[in-house]
Amino acid sequence: MENLTGECDTDMHQEPLGAGDILYLCTNEGTVAMVKVGARQQCPIVSENEEIILFLDPEDLIVASGFGTGTVMMNALKCIIYMIRDAGSPLIVLPKHHLASQKLKYVVSAGAMTRLSCDITPGTHPNQNVLCAKGDLAGIEISGCDGGVNFKNLHVGEFIRMPFTVG
Amino acid sequence: MCSVGDMTDIEVDRLIPEEYRCNECGNTFKGIGKYVMCPSCQSEDVILD
Repeated sequence: MENLTGECDTDMHQEPLGAGDILYLCTNEGTVAMVKVGARQQCPIVSENEEIILFLDPEDLIVASGFGTGTVMMNALKCIIYMIRDAGSPLIVLPKHHLASQKLKYVVSAGAMTRLSCDITPGTHPNQNVLCAKGDLAGIEISGCDGGVNFKNLHVGEFIRMPFTVG
Repeated sequence: MCSVGDMTDIEVDRLIPEEYRCNECGNTFKGIGKYVMCPSCQSEDVILD
């Protein structure tokens, strides 16, 4: 566990992360959880009209951003990551302006790099590597590296690392 | 790629997948990523369609 405070630092910060662990970045406003994909795998993205297969590399990350804090949010993020990475849940794409979009408590990103932003509506952003997050997490870039995670523009938050187990 | 767990509202139109054909089973599919394999038979013998 590590506390980070002070001025925004554009230097890269690195945290170790193994395939069996989950890493949380917690602030007063939001929570971000991330795991390694761990193995080459496929993640289907299914909309009304088409299916696209996302092919992920072992060092890629699945990142979930929650609009809240505390144990319930941390467990929710763990569960949604588990559904996608371990249970093979597809990503089902809702039509635009679906009423459920306004009720979302978390969003998920998968791939090599994720950038957190507070200037977008959850799930409606144009750049597919941008993930909405609460204010103090905005601007952070998260990318997978060999055996760890790189953070750019990290200036706030507390890291919590624990085994990635459910149940 | 960003989405919302089990139900998402991503702009799929902005994803730019390649179209592939599997030489083993003939399946065609759209994919994004470096290590592409057939989602039907798991063969890595796939070509751009």
